[in-house]
Amino acid sequence: MSDIKEVLVPDLGEDSVEVIEICVSVGDSLDAEDSIVTVESDKASMDIPAPFAGDIAEICVAVGDKISEGSLLAKMKTASAAEAAPAVEETVSSAPTAAPAPAAVETAPAPAAAASTTIEVTVPDIGGDENVDVIEILVAVGDTVEVEDGLVTLETDKASMDVPSPQAGTITAMHLNVGDKVSEGSLVVTLATASAEAPTAEAPVTDTPAPAAAPASAAIIEVTVPDIGGDENVDVIDVLVAAGDTVEAEDGLITLETDKASMDVPSPQAGTIKSVHINVGDKVSQGSLVVHLEVAGSAPVEATPVSAPAPAAAPAPAAPAPSPKAPPVPHHPSAAAIKPTGKVHASPSVRRLAREFGVDLTQVNGSGNKGRIIKEDVQSYVKYELSRPKLTAATATAAGEGGLQVLAAPKVDFSKFGEIEEKPLTRIQKISGPNLHRNWVTIPHVTQFEEADITDMESFRKEQNVVCEKRKLGFKITPLVFMMKAVADALQAYPTFNSSLSADGESLILKKYFHIGIAVDTPNGLVVPVVRDVDQKGVHELSKELMDISVKARDGKLKAADMQGSCFTISSLGGIGGTAFTPIVNAPDVAILGVSKSEIKPKWNGKDFEPRLMLPLSLSYDHRVIDGALAARFAVHIKNVLGDLRQIIL
Amino acid sequence: MSEIKTQLVVLGAGPGGYSAAFRAADLGIDTVLVDARANLGGVCLNVGCIPSKALLHVAKVIKEAKHLSSHGVSFGEPKIDLDKVRDWKDSVVSQLTKGLSGMSKMRKVEFVQGLGKFTGSNTLEVTGDKGTTTISFDNAIIAAGSEPVSLPFIPEDDRVIDSTGALEMKDIPGKMLVLGGGIIGLEMGTVYNALGSQIDVVEFLDQLIPAADKDIVKVYNKTIKDTFNVMLETKVTGVEAKKDGLYVSFEGKKAPAKPVRYDKVLVAVGRKPNGKLVGADVAGVTVDERGFINVDKQMRTNVPHIFAIGDLVGQPMLAHKAVHEGHVAAEVVAGKKHYFDPKCIPSVAYTEPELAWVGLTEKEAKEQGINYEAASFPWAASGRAIASDATDGLTKLIFDKDTDRIIGGAMVGTNAGEMLGEIGLAIEMGADAEDIALTIHAHPTLNESIGLAAEIYEGSITDLPNPKAKKKK
Repeated sequence: MSDIKEVLVPDLGEDSVEVIEICVSVGDSLDAEDSIVTVESDKASMDIPAPFAGDIAEICVAVGDKISEGSLLAKMKTASAAEAAPAVEETVSSAPTAAPAPAAVETAPAPAAAASTTIEVTVPDIGGDENVDVIEILVAVGDTVEVEDGLVTLETDKASMDVPSPQAGTITAMHLNVGDKVSEGSLVVTLATASAEAPTAEAPVTDTPAPAAAPASAAIIEVTVPDIGGDENVDVIDVLVAAGDTVEAEDGLITLETDKASMDVPSPQAGTIKSVHINVGDKVSQGSLVVHLEVAGSAPVEATPVSAPAPAAAPAPAAPAPSPKAPPVPHHPSAAAIKPTGKVHASPSVRRLAREFGVDLTQVNGSGNKGRIIKEDVQSYVKYELSRPKLTAATATAAGEGGLQVLAAPKVDFSKFGEIEEKPLTRIQKISGPNLHRNWVTIPHVTQFEEADITDMESFRKEQNVVCEKRKLGFKITPLVFMMKAVADALQAYPTFNSSLSADGESLILKKYFHIGIAVDTPNGLVVPVVRDVDQKGVHELSKELMDISVKARDGKLKAADMQGSCFTISSLGGIGGTAFTPIVNAPDVAILGVSKSEIKPKWNGKDFEPRLMLPLSLSYDHRVIDGALAARFAVHIKNVLGDLRQIIL
Repeated sequence: MSEIKTQLVVLGAGPGGYSAAFRAADLGIDTVLVDARANLGGVCLNVGCIPSKALLHVAKVIKEAKHLSSHGVSFGEPKIDLDKVRDWKDSVVSQLTKGLSGMSKMRKVEFVQGLGKFTGSNTLEVTGDKGTTTISFDNAIIAAGSEPVSLPFIPEDDRVIDSTGALEMKDIPGKMLVLGGGIIGLEMGTVYNALGSQIDVVEFLDQLIPAADKDIVKVYNKTIKDTFNVMLETKVTGVEAKKDGLYVSFEGKKAPAKPVRYDKVLVAVGRKPNGKLVGADVAGVTVDERGFINVDKQMRTNVPHIFAIGDLVGQPMLAHKAVHEGHVAAEVVAGKKHYFDPKCIPSVAYTEPELAWVGLTEKEAKEQGINYEAASFPWAASGRAIASDATDGLTKLIFDKDTDRIIGGAMVGTNAGEMLGEIGLAIEMGADAEDIALTIHAHPTLNESIGLAAEIYEGSITDLPNPKAKKKK
């Protein structure tokens, strides 16, 4: 019996994308992962693959259509569906995604039992973070939950988030306590779902294959390169398995090295390697075939190829960090893998050099003949170790070439001078500290000061707020919104400000979008959520959005994605006070606008002094990119717009 | 009584001590060198390595001259003028010690003659021929060396000598007993034998030069079997001094039934460290019950500003070890972060033929459970050895089979000690068998045997039947 299944657009990391090519036609027979359509966003084009094998029954989009996550893409006829799943039409989202409901359902519903079914809810992909703190338990055993109701709240370094229930049901067991550390896959609760049908219909099938009535015999699956943070043509530096090897789930298969990090591609399941399709030195990208793996027992049927577990991590909406977490420090070419013998191949002079620098030669890879460690190996190891950023707020130094050599701060026993209390830095402080330090020492900062006359802006804003209140719009317009509009306008006028230096420092990357980061002071530290497409949004929309993100920021509920992609940052201390300050550029931005407290000042209008409300502006910029004159013009532009908002529509 | 203040005092002017002092001076450190002898050079130069080599040279030429008669050249019986031999030896010593003294002056290292003893953690008192000197120092290097062990049951008698007495060469005894089959005893036995003495050697263990591998010593045994009467696994139980000689009674495997009369007995049963003789404990330095001082890899004692080097920090008691330790200590005093970190220390017995070994012996490799393979090249297959009448020789290399790297080597034969350097270098540099086999050695040389031994391990040897050759059907 064949089934018609709908293929929905997976999460693409974009609001909407344009279909630029249809790769199949009705009646085509597809294998899983075959492309159905090609879409193009302003960043990249990508293929949307078939989540399973089958025949195209209907194509539901056309070239030029704008589609977004969840749009119906096509309908496919699958051959094996009858046996594989209960006789309920499933909505299957495309494979390499974590489906609309971010929780992974480990045990898919059992075949059509009318009674209630128990499922285990596990921690979904949380962007590769491990050992994340559980800070709150939102449900108790016996509670009835709806789909998407929060079960527990997790807090990572970057944000906190709720783990939502994948289905409606009753909590039958709670597996976590506050303070527990969890990772993707950790068991959260056991949930009794109302009936078999309902959950089946709703159950988003994640990349975990439905266990179904699979034959108990062994199956061969393809293991492909998972999402590796968007890097293409990544070097394979080591092949860790050979045909015939037995591997456990998560065992490394190959080692990849990007310019940022090296990582192992893990085996998604335990099994036996049937064939290896990659050699050392090959270049691979996401989806490249690594090995064929024979998995034993109740593994998926051949129609359900399983890609490595990470693909789900790709653009998953629930993921606070969309790319897999790179090791904290890149793998150094001179740093050796563990040497089994402890015997070191190095001549006396090299051993002396190593002693002088305190280098453990077993940690150094020899580049000489037969792995001999030569002086240069020791030198480069030392150089690397010295330049390696030590990721604590206190000791962070620039990671750039030639790293900064500074005197270590003196150790002071403050308790000698009076009572003290030691309070650990918050996680946000610990993370932002090294970044701020890097920005401070690597970017040549200049700060341009300006004053904008906002007398008219403020009277207009107050008028509008009266209107807002009357219309019960539920938000207030703040001065910040006008500043954002003014900045967006200035960025359009001076595109250099809307740029980033390329990694090699050879070119400038000009951005055609206008996303503005807003520095928000929260109880836990400074965060910079990003408001997207400020140029296309009205004052009301921006006001609403600003209110939302401020609340989110203060509650620590911002996701990493909410804090990425800024072009320019505004740091407003106007609500507090101050006449000027020198903000630190929020790299990779090239400039930041600091806003201090407005003040009524006498201004000469040609005849006499007039009281005008003046807003102090402090524009810090990266002098490698922006010249002083340009910065002055940019600041004047903002001042002019704020002085007369009509300028924006000119 | 004079007083000296210095940055560094080095106690002992043997090879370790003077090397440390000279190195320190060259690194800009104000250095004072103290020794009980008026001449620099310690035991090694004055009453050890150097004078014995002078005499061994004489012995070797005598032997070779004798040997030449079988190749058609006869010199007749040698006439030995013992005074002249002694003068020659003394001239060698004096040339070297004078050279050292000159170099010391050139480096502005102040030499204080006398017996030095610590009087505190930063003071040393030297009692010498010209009075007492108090030296206050920032750092000290103890390099006081060792002295021959004397046996309590042996009576004090002019005819009982140690290595120093043997080197004095008062006369040539008709019959001499060498007590101890180690390097020193055999070297002196070789000298006296060449000069006409009949030599008996008594060794408590089952092998001469117990530290060396059996196969190497076996070659040596073969060459001396007609010259020395060796009594292994035998010990001396008593020495009776009578007017006509020293009557020695033995016990053990080869013990003669009755006491044997000797004109002289050379006691060469080992050396003991002088750690207890310098008042190190007064300075706070811990000295163990045997007189050794424990140091770390930077030659530092338990007192951070006091270092110790050479014989009194442990085996092997060899001048070349002390020199390197001395350099390290001086460099550490000068603020360098150096360590004594060798992979191997060579040992040579300058007998005829010579025995030499470096790195691990087979014995040690076995004890350490190393997966090793030894490859030996017998000198009987060497053209140069045959031509030089030196076929009693063997070159053995020991390789770690897991890495093919050389971990030790040993040689017995003429000039074996001179050729050992290559093996030491190979070990330090981590050379493997292939590296050595592919290094072209000059032909015909004895040294070539090292390359050929590596070829044996590699299976590329053509100068011998190749046990690793492919078998033809």
